Amino acid sequence: MLIQATCAGCACLCDDIVVEKNGEFKVKNACRRGAGIFLNYLEGRAKPSINGETSSLEEAIERASEIIADSKKLAVYGMDTITLEAQKLAIKIAEKTDAFIDDCSSFCLGNFVEACLRGEIPTTTLDYVRDNAYVIIYWGANPVHSSPRHMSRYSYFPRGKNRQRGYEEDRFLVVIDVRKDHTSKIVKKNEVFIEPESDAELIDSFVKIMEGKAAKYSGEVAGILREIKKGDAVVFGGLGLRYGLEGDFKKFYNLLRKLNEFSKVYFIPAGFHSNMRGFNESLFEKTGYVNRYSFGEQTSRKEFEFSKLLTSSIPDTTLIIGSDPVNSLPFDVSMHLSKINTITIDPRRTFTTEISDVVIPSSISGVENGGTMVRSDGVKIKLNSVFENKFDDTYILERILERI
Amino acid sequence: MPTPMEIFKLLPKTNCKICGEQTCMSFAFKVITRERKLEDCKPLFDEEKYKKQLEELINLLEPLEKATETGLIVEEDLCTGCANCVVVCPVHASEDPYGMGSGKGPTIENPILLIENGVVKVINMLLCRRYGKERILCVACRENCPTDAIRFLEE
Ligand code: SF4
Ligand code: SF4
Ligand code: SF4
Ligand code: SF4
Repeated sequence: MLIQATCAGCACLCDDIVVEKNGEFKVKNACRRGAGIFLNYLEGRAKPSINGETSSLEEAIERASEIIADSKKLAVYGMDTITLEAQKLAIKIAEKTDAFIDDCSSFCLGNFVEACLRGEIPTTTLDYVRDNAYVIIYWGANPVHSSPRHMSRYSYFPRGKNRQRGYEEDRFLVVIDVRKDHTSKIVKKNEVFIEPESDAELIDSFVKIMEGKAAKYSGEVAGILREIKKGDAVVFGGLGLRYGLEGDFKKFYNLLRKLNEFSKVYFIPAGFHSNMRGFNESLFEKTGYVNRYSFGEQTSRKEFEFSKLLTSSIPDTTLIIGSDPVNSLPFDVSMHLSKINTITIDPRRTFTTEISDVVIPSSISGVENGGTMVRSDGVKIKLNSVFENKFDDTYILERILERI
Repeated sequence: MPTPMEIFKLLPKTNCKICGEQTCMSFAFKVITRERKLEDCKPLFDEEKYKKQLEELINLLEPLEKATETGLIVEEDLCTGCANCVVVCPVHASEDPYGMGSGKGPTIENPILLIENGVVKVINMLLCRRYGKERILCVACRENCPTDAIRFLEE
């Protein structure tokens, strides 16, 4: 039997995956990372537990609900790999308990998503890029690692409606990165690789050249601007750019606006968790902010970032959903988790489930449960379930919401 | 890749013609171009005294065994399954413009390459432009592989 599936391995949300279930278990079209999620879906699964003792699923849900109901300051965290439907429930729980809520976008690409949602920078869809974009710029993004099929499915390599002749004639690739990596390796003829000492300087170069002045990277930049004049361009900005800007997002957004006086230049964030953008959009819809929000204070502040809350010992309880902060945050931050009530909902055993007071196992989105996620460009994508598991995040969060 | 000379040195060098070639040197050449198999040199296998040479030859020819008939070798360990090779292949683009040519999975029966369980598989080299009489030296798949997972035998 062949099953059509969507991979939730990254924000590309490739929806052309074919899973063969009978006889040999085969996954077609997914990249190595994506295929692994399907092939190894039974490995390392979490088990329900309370204070390290195995429990039933219902007992774990019950205990978690009690702890949340008794907590004075709850922080809800994670949610970047669960469906929109589950995210909405998690937001409701936070709302009902006047909790803090945050996800990894606060140290990942939340700022870029926010600028797109607020209409501060021109953005478009990946389908538009495939059909129309001529200049493809990866800036501080390394799709080979973060979203392996990004280039082959949406940007440089595929043919599109108005880009029929393929990458050699119909696309122009620019890779901007602090070091040569796998993505820049593809840059050969007819393409540019820039290794800037600072992103700010490179931005200045663009602005100066447009104003007809001399600049540090004048050779490369003038060449890129010449190409941008020939057709639509898109900038895929990744973590490298986010940190390279050193907080000065305005400078970059101004550049994008200025480039648009010159030609059509769009921006799409690239390289993050499957449904990070979905979380940003759901919270934005509800509160007008994309992350670091406090329902108690009805606002978003830098201090409400999950890691900052932990180090200042503000929450007494955390509800972590589909995230492994013990692995991703510095130890001096995550060690605070051991001092407070920690409830973790996750399909797999992680460092965080290991130190949690309550562990509630859930199903794997896209493998065992369907739902909706939001792709890196803001397009909603449907997931399918390949195997049955009705105890998904939605089921668990609904139960908790009923009881608090 | 072994050179014909390296192969030649390990052959019986008797020019006995049992393999169907006039000389051991020409046999060595054809082993590399895959027109002859090592097994065609009967004395090498039958006579005890060539045992050590035979072992060395088998080791030497191991990479050749992995290659498909177009001379395309995939190092699965390096492959990330990014599908750049699948999408850039000019044959795929013309035979399956709305599937592989547009960045998606194949909609034709027997593509040259496809991604299965996260790595590229060569499944129908008959379509590859490097194959057959009118072959051309296409390098599109290899050139766009970010991890050097694709090699061609003769390079
Ligand atoms: S690129 Fe991302 S969504 Fe697509 S198959 Fe790979 S991991 Fe899955
Ligand atoms: S059969 Fe072996 S020994 Fe005889 S000519 Fe051929 S290669 Fe040389
Ligand atoms: S060599 Fe050319 S024709 Fe053959 S598989 Fe690679 S890209 Fe396709
Ligand atoms: S381009 Fe290279 S890494 Fe990507 S699928 Fe092909 S062989 Fe694998």
